[in-house]
Amino acid sequence: MQKLLEKVIAGATGWLELRYQARSTKRITVRNGSLEESSSALVAGLGVRALVDGVLGFASTTDVSERGIRAAIDAAQAAARTSAQAKKQRIKGLASAPMAKGRFAVNTDDPLDAHSLEEKLALVLGLDERIRSGAKEIVSSTASYGEIQDEKVIVTTDGASAHIFDSKPELRTIAVASRNGDQTMGLESSGITGGWSDLLEIATLEELADKAVQVAVDQLSAPHPSGGTSVVVLDPSLVGILCHEAIGHTVEADIVLGGAITADKIGRVVGSELVTLCDSGATEHAPFAVGILPVDDEGVLTRRTVIIEHGVLRSFLHNRETAAHYGVAPTGNARAYVYSDDPIIRMRNTYIEPGETSVDELIGGVRNGYYLRELGMSGQADSNAEFMFGVREAHRIVDGKIGEFVRGATISGNAFDVLKSIDAVGDDFAWENGAGACGKGQFAKVDAGGPHVRCTLTIGGRQA
Amino acid sequence: MSNGNLLDTCQRALDLVRRHGADRAEVFGETTRTITSAVEKDDLQISKSRQETRVGLRAFVGTQVGFASTNDLSKVEDAAVDAVTLAKASPGDPHNVLPDPNPVVPIDGLYDPGADTFGTADAVNQAIRMLETAKLVDRRVIVGESEFTAGIRNCVLINSAGAEASERSTLFTYSVLTTARDKDQVSNMAFKFGATRSVDSIDVERIARRSSEDSLGSLGARKGQSFNGQVLLDPYAVLNLLALLPFQLNGRNALRGMTRWKDALGETVAVPAFTLVDDGRIPGGVGTASFDREGVPHRRTALIEGGILRSFMHNAYTADAFGVPNTGHAAGSAGSLPAIGPTNFAIVPGEVGKSDLISGIRRGLLVNRFSGNADPISGDFSGVAKAAYLIIDGKIDRPVAGSLIAGNVFEALKSLSGISRETETVFNYTFPFLRLEGISVTAE
Repeated sequence: MQKLLEKVIAGATGWLELRYQARSTKRITVRNGSLEESSSALVAGLGVRALVDGVLGFASTTDVSERGIRAAIDAAQAAARTSAQAKKQRIKGLASAPMAKGRFAVNTDDPLDAHSLEEKLALVLGLDERIRSGAKEIVSSTASYGEIQDEKVIVTTDGASAHIFDSKPELRTIAVASRNGDQTMGLESSGITGGWSDLLEIATLEELADKAVQVAVDQLSAPHPSGGTSVVVLDPSLVGILCHEAIGHTVEADIVLGGAITADKIGRVVGSELVTLCDSGATEHAPFAVGILPVDDEGVLTRRTVIIEHGVLRSFLHNRETAAHYGVAPTGNARAYVYSDDPIIRMRNTYIEPGETSVDELIGGVRNGYYLRELGMSGQADSNAEFMFGVREAHRIVDGKIGEFVRGATISGNAFDVLKSIDAVGDDFAWENGAGACGKGQFAKVDAGGPHVRCTLTIGGRQA
Repeated sequence: MSNGNLLDTCQRALDLVRRHGADRAEVFGETTRTITSAVEKDDLQISKSRQETRVGLRAFVGTQVGFASTNDLSKVEDAAVDAVTLAKASPGDPHNVLPDPNPVVPIDGLYDPGADTFGTADAVNQAIRMLETAKLVDRRVIVGESEFTAGIRNCVLINSAGAEASERSTLFTYSVLTTARDKDQVSNMAFKFGATRSVDSIDVERIARRSSEDSLGSLGARKGQSFNGQVLLDPYAVLNLLALLPFQLNGRNALRGMTRWKDALGETVAVPAFTLVDDGRIPGGVGTASFDREGVPHRRTALIEGGILRSFMHNAYTADAFGVPNTGHAAGSAGSLPAIGPTNFAIVPGEVGKSDLISGIRRGLLVNRFSGNADPISGDFSGVAKAAYLIIDGKIDRPVAGSLIAGNVFEALKSLSGISRETETVFNYTFPFLRLEGISVTAE
């Protein structure tokens, strides 16, 4: 495929980007001991971007013969030409970048295909069984395994020619508990970039199942938090969610140009000086981050991007178009989910750098507050950095000690106010390693994380 | 790919699944062609075209089932082998059945031949019209995102029990997301959606104007008041809040004990004025099709009638497991196993106007969008009221920012005090304004 794409592009006119992707996926889901799904899919095709008169056009096709590829190029160029008649802002050019050449593959010695379907099925059945037998209150259990394996070839007229292999397995669990008509849910998942044994290393089946059961059962008859402003300690997962959802999206250069709150804040203080916040294509500080991306979908080699350095906003996240607009180097954040998606600005692995305070000290320093762990059912944030997240697990902290479990907690506020309120950053580090995907018109497998941090924000409770 | 060619491809796939060891089989094939033009930050973005044919193969070996799909038609045999291999490796389940063959009555008006010649330039024109209409309302409005998509879809469903159904349809969808900016003030995002089946009835101006007006209305919002009382939800906010209803009414979730209503058939789950229907045959509806993902004809199903839970949504599996008639709610694409989902899902409108609902409120909140979460199991919800207005003594007083609302969806359905006659259709959901009681409102 690489040879064919190189051949076609060699004779083409104008700037072109050809991206072939073959994605193989498997999913096995078991609920209450019954199989819900065992499926596989193979989706392959070519996505083409063309630049004509300073305007981009995109077309995709499943016909990857030489003739089909040429037809897709024609369609992309025609789309660009048509749009050029109405578009106000022309692309000044695409910023030059270190373009990827050669072969890039996930580093694992235990590929997913080396494990049989029967083995994967047995694992999911065992996980489901462990949830169901975890507590007498459990009335429903769900366990699932999913895997995505990608082969990509990216060839551009300005130097990229990369052959990329990726592997992302994941496990999800749901436990539903019930007592006296009250029903609660516990979710726990793990996901990585890597191989089979790596997935089981990041969290054992027992850990996943037992945590889901515990969260579901603990919520039964737990009180709701009292609403208001509170000092809280966030776990690495919630720190990651805050970095990704509430800060990260507001520094994606396309969102910035759309009028995000960060638009005029480069070089300005936007957070506590304890905060250094980054987005990286590599798996910094801990292995197996879900969003590992050596080469982005414009064929650019990725790097670690420092977004906020000691509280000062330093960089947005760019593709080649926005980098040219701002006169900076691309950061390798252009991503497409499947062949039929065009590359847009997405995060990879977003995190806060670890600090110097131990987790015990973080919690010990709170007289009256909450310890909050993991994202609940959903999270939402606006481009003005206003956010609202459900919290999966919340405990009161009283006189420096973790106490009572409270249910249904939500946190909200402005993410930059929260960053400014951070008065201590933990010396630990963990990725979320979740099974979800970020949605922005198309999906992206991302990760987020950091150390524990202590800050102040609004807890949603109930008015009497 | 024409329906004739697609049918041939599906028949070949069905033969392959059986030849590789399945005793029963089903094949669903879909060809989709879409053209999309989008606006971001007040300017036209990349225009896209896409064409794909995909087939999904379900293999039955006794009571065992496996599924595989591909869009690479040279690999259909590989997919057939995969589906049979997956079936043979999986535990059996007696409810893995194919639906009985049922005659499908075609629905008129799903396909507009005008779509065949609808090209990228036409999509670009509609996107530009949306942008210009929104900006014409007020120059402070920024179109953050808007998108116009024209789609043509052919689908074919065949199975070894003799089912054979096919349909061609067109769908034009458009959405717009705006904010208003005045010096340092940035309004909440407003979002509007529209859809139609025919070229002549495309109307992007209406949603663009309304989105602009919503954004402008929330400029200058200040802190609200904290109280426990009445909240009037706009249909868009109803959509955000009641997103858990399809989950609750999903027969598979009921079967698995995942829903609060699993044992509530025949019981009161909402006020008597509350009736919820799902009807897959409404002319022009986004969720309209003559048959479901398993080839079963769509029909009208009253899910909640006069506040009483009447039915779950079923596909062949859950209908067999519950021993009830199949409601034709098998859903999904050729890329996935038949799941369960709503078609055109609607709360039947009431008899009072929105303004009468407002005039009955002494102190309350009008919420145009709800940004938060509702736990599908417990029904607990909590989140931010977006583009919200304080209502005092029956009149809209002023816009408020940052108010959190919290309560429980199940309690709210049993205590709601008003359903408007005005409705709004967003995606495949048609909802009125709802006035809820006993909601906790917290001003930040």
